[in-house]
Amino acid sequence: MKKLYFVMAALIVASLVLTACGAGSSTGGDDVIKVGQVTDLGGIDDKSFNASAFAGAEKAVADFGVEAKYLESTQQSDYNKNIQQFVDEDTDLIVTVGFLLGVDTAVAAKANPETYFAIVDYSYPDCFGTAGTDYTEGQTCGSATELPNVLGLTFATDQAGFLAGYAAAASTQTGKVATFGGINIPPVTIFMKGFEAGVKYYNEQNGAEVEVLGWNTAAADGSFTGNFDSLDDGRSFAESFVQEGADIIMPVAGPVGLGSAAYCQETGSCQIIGVDTDWTVSSPEYTDVILTSVMKNINIAVYDSIKAVVDGSFAGGVYLGTIANGGVGLAEVAGASDDLKAQLEAARAALADGSLTVDGVLGQ
Amino acid sequence: MTNVLELRGITKRFPGVIANENVDITLREGKILALLGENGAGKTTLMNILYGLYKPDEGHISVRGKQVEIHGPNDAIAQGIGMVHQHFMLVPVMTVTENVMLGIEPTKNGLFLDKEKVAKRIREISDQYGLEVDPHAYIKDLPVGIQQRVEIIKVLYRQADILILDEPTAVLTPQEVEGLFKIIDTLIKSGKSIIFITHKLKEVLAVADDITVLRLGKVVGSIDPKEATTEILASMMVGRDVSLVVEKQPAKTGEPVLVVENLLVRDERQHVTVRGVSFEVRKGEVLGVAGVQGNGQTELVYALTGLLPLEDGTIRLLGEPIRHTTPREILERGVAHIPEDRQRHGLILSFPIHDNMMLCTYYKNPFAKGISLQEKSIFSNAEELVKQYDVRTPNIYVNAGTLSGGNQQKVIVAREFSRPIELLIASQPTRGLDVGSIEYIHKQIIKKRDEGAGVLVVSSELDEILALSDRIAVMYKGQIMDILDADKASKEQLGLLMAGVQLSDKQKMK
Amino acid sequence: MSETATPSKTQTSKRSSLGQELLVPALAVVTGLIIGAIVIVASGANVFDAYGALFTGSFGSPVRLIEGLQVFFSTGETSELLRAIYPFTESLVTATPYIFAGLSVALGFRAGLFNIGAEGQFFIGALCSAFVGYSVKGLPMIIHLPLAILAGALGGAIWGMIPGYLKAKFGAHEVVNTIMMNWIAFRLSDWLLNGPMKASGFRPVTPNVLPTAELPRFFDDPLRFNLGFFLALAVAYLVYWFLFKTTTGFEVRSVGANPDAAKYAGMSIVKNLVLVMALAGGLAGMAGSAQVLGVDHWVGQGFSAGYGFDAIALALLGKSHPFGVVLSALLFGFLRSGATNMQSRAGIPIDIISIIQGLVIVFIAAPAIIRWIYRIRSIKTEETVLTRGWGK
Repeated sequence: MKKLYFVMAALIVASLVLTACGAGSSTGGDDVIKVGQVTDLGGIDDKSFNASAFAGAEKAVADFGVEAKYLESTQQSDYNKNIQQFVDEDTDLIVTVGFLLGVDTAVAAKANPETYFAIVDYSYPDCFGTAGTDYTEGQTCGSATELPNVLGLTFATDQAGFLAGYAAAASTQTGKVATFGGINIPPVTIFMKGFEAGVKYYNEQNGAEVEVLGWNTAAADGSFTGNFDSLDDGRSFAESFVQEGADIIMPVAGPVGLGSAAYCQETGSCQIIGVDTDWTVSSPEYTDVILTSVMKNINIAVYDSIKAVVDGSFAGGVYLGTIANGGVGLAEVAGASDDLKAQLEAARAALADGSLTVDGVLGQ
Repeated sequence: MTNVLELRGITKRFPGVIANENVDITLREGKILALLGENGAGKTTLMNILYGLYKPDEGHISVRGKQVEIHGPNDAIAQGIGMVHQHFMLVPVMTVTENVMLGIEPTKNGLFLDKEKVAKRIREISDQYGLEVDPHAYIKDLPVGIQQRVEIIKVLYRQADILILDEPTAVLTPQEVEGLFKIIDTLIKSGKSIIFITHKLKEVLAVADDITVLRLGKVVGSIDPKEATTEILASMMVGRDVSLVVEKQPAKTGEPVLVVENLLVRDERQHVTVRGVSFEVRKGEVLGVAGVQGNGQTELVYALTGLLPLEDGTIRLLGEPIRHTTPREILERGVAHIPEDRQRHGLILSFPIHDNMMLCTYYKNPFAKGISLQEKSIFSNAEELVKQYDVRTPNIYVNAGTLSGGNQQKVIVAREFSRPIELLIASQPTRGLDVGSIEYIHKQIIKKRDEGAGVLVVSSELDEILALSDRIAVMYKGQIMDILDADKASKEQLGLLMAGVQLSDKQKMK
Repeated sequence: MSETATPSKTQTSKRSSLGQELLVPALAVVTGLIIGAIVIVASGANVFDAYGALFTGSFGSPVRLIEGLQVFFSTGETSELLRAIYPFTESLVTATPYIFAGLSVALGFRAGLFNIGAEGQFFIGALCSAFVGYSVKGLPMIIHLPLAILAGALGGAIWGMIPGYLKAKFGAHEVVNTIMMNWIAFRLSDWLLNGPMKASGFRPVTPNVLPTAELPRFFDDPLRFNLGFFLALAVAYLVYWFLFKTTTGFEVRSVGANPDAAKYAGMSIVKNLVLVMALAGGLAGMAGSAQVLGVDHWVGQGFSAGYGFDAIALALLGKSHPFGVVLSALLFGFLRSGATNMQSRAGIPIDIISIIQGLVIVFIAAPAIIRWIYRIRSIKTEETVLTRGWGK
């Protein structure tokens, strides 16, 4: 018993000491601009959105001397809590990553109009229809109006996906290419739509008949794993596509795609098109099976947002990353001939100046 | 004559208890010393000290007049001390040779096992002492008696000349016990010295040259077997006079309580272990079921108590058939069951005594009202039973696991006897118990008989069967060999039946 | 051995054994924190900053609390005070599902069952509660809220009962089956969130539950402290009462401690195994209910950060006793909740909390280490049987 009392006493003393220290160090200087990033469930090392966004923040730290830190969310109830933590620390710009934070970000932005927010892959207004029947603000969606202190960072990934589809169609040996997604939502399917259009454009230009498996824009349906985390699913989806005759696969499902890459590497029967970041950089172990990557340059978008806060020009609204402004792009295509490179450059230029559009190719 | 082993002033304390206090023991060369004592008297602690498993707090050990330090079994073996444990330390799927060489494997060219050398040596030892063991037989194929000889060979192979035999007869048939005594005799003749640990008084008188009795960690005294009787030894062990003969009147039998016909039972592994067994138990009589452990007695009892389903045949309890009947329904019909394995079936060791005292009746008044347990009644019931059945425990709140074996058994007896009984099934009711407890439990069983209950006693101890039974059934390989009247049955007859030998008419006449 | 060396009649009064019971877990926690401190130092951070932030993040800063009280008494303004108690209430919010899930696993342990399926049951419970919460309209709160909780409990119970039945009837090991049921639950929820239960819009989440199904919150946003916490405490007491004061609880504990003796005493193993797994599933389901009705109000894919798995550790730490579970759940809640602040203020990854939790569990599982470190003389106690071996 005595020992127990001793332990308890020690705990209490220790906690008092810690509190004193903790309280002392909790106030930071207000003159430095503070940036806080709240990740989604992928965590800061997801080699994807979160990592890319924080890379932008770190560049801003180096360039402008701002202070940047991040909080990782491990479950959905953390979103609110983590945003609240940054609000509490008087953070100047809170970067939230992913559409799942859409509601919590809007609610916090309304409650703290002095704080700036930037949300990756989302934008406001996001409530459509009639209030009360179709939606409830702050619950089923974030905001029915544009928020003056929130910048939505969105990306025309269909343009980059278009180039990837073109490159895939030019590179396939079997005449079949495939794509699949995590779940059937616009931020995912927009890649697939661009991919399909790129293949179609290649067929039109070269009189080829390359087939796309796993997505059909007209039907608005395709192959989906239903999650963004199962490497096993990535493997089995790749396997079945290869069995159907495809030799190039674009998985739009975050880490799931790594499972597909592993399958391709082991069997040597397929190549992968990475998404979001250049996979030869983020997952160099699969470089030999990566054809190219559709890059969503979130780092540039985040960097630009921070820059706007630093120079006082931050304004709410929507940022759209395009081929033209460098917000999206295609990584180097492995083994591309000079001819293919030239064709891709021509398509890129046409997309950039608007003479070529994804919807146009798809006839929509 | 020299003393080959002397323990002087051995004291061993455990937190709160003195296990051995100033114990002196002397083993003369070429003699058998019987070490006698109840459970908890400190015999095992003492032997563990001798074998180097415990370090004594005080005292010293001398081997052949030389003081020695024993720090572990290897030291003990080096001093020529070998131990044959009660529970054999053998690997069933290995041969005799492999078991004997375990731990000291000789090699050829420093790499390959030299089994032949060991087998040859085993054959030599076997011939020398009349052990009759085949070095190439697998342990699992050998009867218990032979397995014990393998343990003895292990010790002899390691060149021990002081042998410690811990309860060696506990698992043997009377015939096997005879065989063991012959082997012991041969060992002594060839100059070995033996410490024989037991609580069976008759065996002590049959083989020992010297007897030392321990009680509560102290030596009570040493006695010459020529001057000793079982009564004297028992009172030395227990510290008071005990009656070894169960006083009982002739049975006043009444209606049959239990009628079993052509019973067929499979064990959990689906082997048929009881085949075609028929018998009846009447009110006011004790039917003893004798037999070597493992001949179907266990499964017979399980079938009677609903723990195993019956494959074929009928069981009628008070005229009502038992088939697909749950243990609870059987209990409710007035069957009390003292199970063979008290720690497996009879008690929940991690539960306090008061819970164990109502283990079978917890759902009934006064222990429960609706689904709510009535702690007051539970506690008072336990207090009462502890007092009535003399359970030695600090209080009713300690876990059953902290009690000694005898007191654990008393808890079960108290619980089972505290409700109305038509039939009492007692399986190995005194296994591992000391003389005092045995006496007590035997008296209780006879008391239930005299109150008019039918009693079925299953035991592998012939003495117990003979002491309690009015009639005796002997089981062998799942069948009942014969049912004899207890007052006409002799140990020899029973021994033959237990070994599966049908009695000729002449043998029955005896 | 035919005899034990000594009749060990250790006089253990109830009080001193309680002290002993608490001593090892308490020391395990302290040791876990100390080794955690070493890890923090090794990672180049300041321990005092880290643990200070952990403390203020879980209990709140005393300085702020005093300021908050001053403001409140001088002006009647509560916002400062609420800000000060926010960390403390968040810890209780985090502890709430831990209590339920911990009770679930502990109840299984008591019956000798290893319920690894709490995570799946948690999801199913949450989905069922959410469904009743958003789809049943027009009910008053007094009916709607209990109905939504009941739905969660029932969903979890069915999810737990299936492996219980497979175990009792066919001897299929519950560890394997509960893990399988987890996967079914995860995949089922993936499908439901993308299909039948998907809210309008493109996010794969359920609609929000109606206000009548929400567990009432005691303060305004952002404080999420709600009735769920007190519900959890009440359920913990109920589980205690069930286990130790009822005949059925007695059966459950008997089956767990010694199934052979339970069978001998006329108890039905089958009935009890199925019952316990159903109840355990129900408790884990209620964890999901409390989380969705009290905190999130909707279910998405990242609904749980592994509450069901942490619950195993927590039940071990709580020695499978309902009150022990509450204490460990509070500990885990405070650690987890304070970790956010530690991560932000001291730059220590949340993972350090997992390391500390892991260490604590190692020390609980191997109390000999703690006894050796602190030179506590071992008293012989029967270890609670946690689970039976394979194939039995």
